Amino acid sequence: MSSHDRTPTRRTMLRAGSAWVLGSLLGPPRGETKAAQPASRSLRPARSRVVLIRRPEVLRGDGSIDPAVLRAMLNEAVASLLEAPSSAAAWQRLVKPADVVGIKSNVWRSLPTPAALEQAVRSEVLAAGVMPANVAVDDRGVRDNPVFARATALINARPMRTHAWSGLGTCLKNYIMFVPRPADYHDDACARLAEIWRQPALEGKTRLNVLVMLTPQFHTLGPHSYSPEYTWRYGGLIVGTDVVAVDAVGARIIEARRRAHFGDGRPLNPPAHHIRAADTRFALGNADPAAIDLVRLGPRAEMLI
Amino acid sequence: MRHGLVPVLAVLVFAAGPGTSCSRSQPDGPDHRAARWSTPGPAEQAVIHLPDAVDGWAASEPQRVHDRETIYDYIDGLAEVYLAYGMTRCVSRRYGRPNPPGDLVADVFELASPEDAFGVFTVDRDGEPVPIGGDALYRHGWLSFWTDRYFVSVVAQGDPGGIREPVLALGRIIAGALPGGAGRPALVGELPPRDLDPRSVRFLRHPQILNTHVFVSDGNPLGLAPDTAAALGRYERSGGRGHLLLVDYPDAGRAAAAAGRFQADVLGGAAGDGAATLGDRGAFAVRSTGRRVAAVLGATTPAFARELLAAAPAPVGGTP
Repeated sequence: MSSHDRTPTRRTMLRAGSAWVLGSLLGPPRGETKAAQPASRSLRPARSRVVLIRRPEVLRGDGSIDPAVLRAMLNEAVASLLEAPSSAAAWQRLVKPADVVGIKSNVWRSLPTPAALEQAVRSEVLAAGVMPANVAVDDRGVRDNPVFARATALINARPMRTHAWSGLGTCLKNYIMFVPRPADYHDDACARLAEIWRQPALEGKTRLNVLVMLTPQFHTLGPHSYSPEYTWRYGGLIVGTDVVAVDAVGARIIEARRRAHFGDGRPLNPPAHHIRAADTRFALGNADPAAIDLVRLGPRAEMLI
Repeated sequence: MRHGLVPVLAVLVFAAGPGTSCSRSQPDGPDHRAARWSTPGPAEQAVIHLPDAVDGWAASEPQRVHDRETIYDYIDGLAEVYLAYGMTRCVSRRYGRPNPPGDLVADVFELASPEDAFGVFTVDRDGEPVPIGGDALYRHGWLSFWTDRYFVSVVAQGDPGGIREPVLALGRIIAGALPGGAGRPALVGELPPRDLDPRSVRFLRHPQILNTHVFVSDGNPLGLAPDTAAALGRYERSGGRGHLLLVDYPDAGRAAAAAGRFQADVLGGAAGDGAATLGDRGAFAVRSTGRRVAAVLGATTPAFARELLAAAPAPVGGTP
């Protein structure tokens, strides 16, 4: 895992006032000046390593997922992320046999976390020595799940999609089910989502974030917020320990896809500025591309970043 | 029979008429969540029966009715939009066809009033206008329209290719059996027409809906509530662009209090009708006249903000 820079540095002091180079999709957190106050204790790494892996063959012709390819992608990405000699070594660094591991999934009907990915993560956690009774996969029930209640480690996995309240359904957004009233975080396009991550019960527990980019959704349509017209076969995963950096990379891909599809640079409505706010306001991680070391694995064609 | 191809009377609606059934007793408090819409009693509720088939598509399940609690399970992620417009129930039904396989989903949302149905319709105004109901739009397999106090969605959940006609046909059947004739909210018609982008016009009562279109602030400085009505429109001319918001309150006291909070909380105490520039969010301004507040949001220049504010009409009946 990357080390956390918990001591404010000159760079971290300057960055709050620096000009942002992110695209328009993220947008500045509304009501926040560029001299936003960083959180008192920064969890932001000096730099964030993020792995983007693509394997087109993970999606079969009929759109179903090849579980073996998906698991291989996950393992290759995790090994690369931690610069470990093998995926097994990487997982053993992520979780210890004594850990209690909650795998936070997402069950949204139209684009859920693939069951094959849930199973792959669970299998690797078990292979790292964690006892089966100490591993659980959950989404809506995390607040009542006894394994999550005593979890010492969390692994966060969900698909990227556009979202009516937060602009994008991100790994940051995926923890909204840990609070009793998710709607309390809907104001200002969910700009305060990172506040959830800084709650004592959650802060520092997340060992890995997996943003699923197999068939990302780049636009929202109708009451059910979904149309296959606005998804595409990307065949990717974005993996990292810094959730902000993972989401920032995913957001840039969505932005690129929207530019290509609509041709008019239309911004997300609402903007996904919770990603930037997680950096500037809550000092949770790096949203600035200049602070992200992006490792690209797989075909570069149409990688969009 | 309007639906022609359907051999039975597919939709029967005995509606209560256009009257508003919501309780509009929200006090002038900042917490919109305190507001509660009353649910119509059985005598008020229309009987809605969605058709069993249309254009080769057959219902794949009985219709279902979702209330203000179960709607969260049904349309995960977007229920708050409909609740913000006083949704009392949603009647839904799924349709399928064997070849090529596909799904259509029809949802009839019953809102608090025709104004609210129009308001839901204005949440997403992308699309091609089609002549169904009060206003209707079609895009990429999704038809949305409003009529009376109903907002209707028909959406294809598979490949949208070749789906347009069945979607429109189902929409026409549903519209033909629902009440009609209600006009757009009167307040919408009071937005000054010059340089107004008609596709930008929204009707709303909830601060979160407003913030989705143009961010004002966290919280609810304008005191938007079920007993208020707001119309929003975007203006663009050579001198600039920005949004004008008109909000009508039950009385002048609440309007004045809302304008005062906006001055203090959003404009940081800027005096009078002067426009305040809020960083890169643009220029904002506010004024109350009688029971109406007019606010300019995110104008490109203070001069344009003042110009838009000056064009805002006073409420009918003038200043009490």
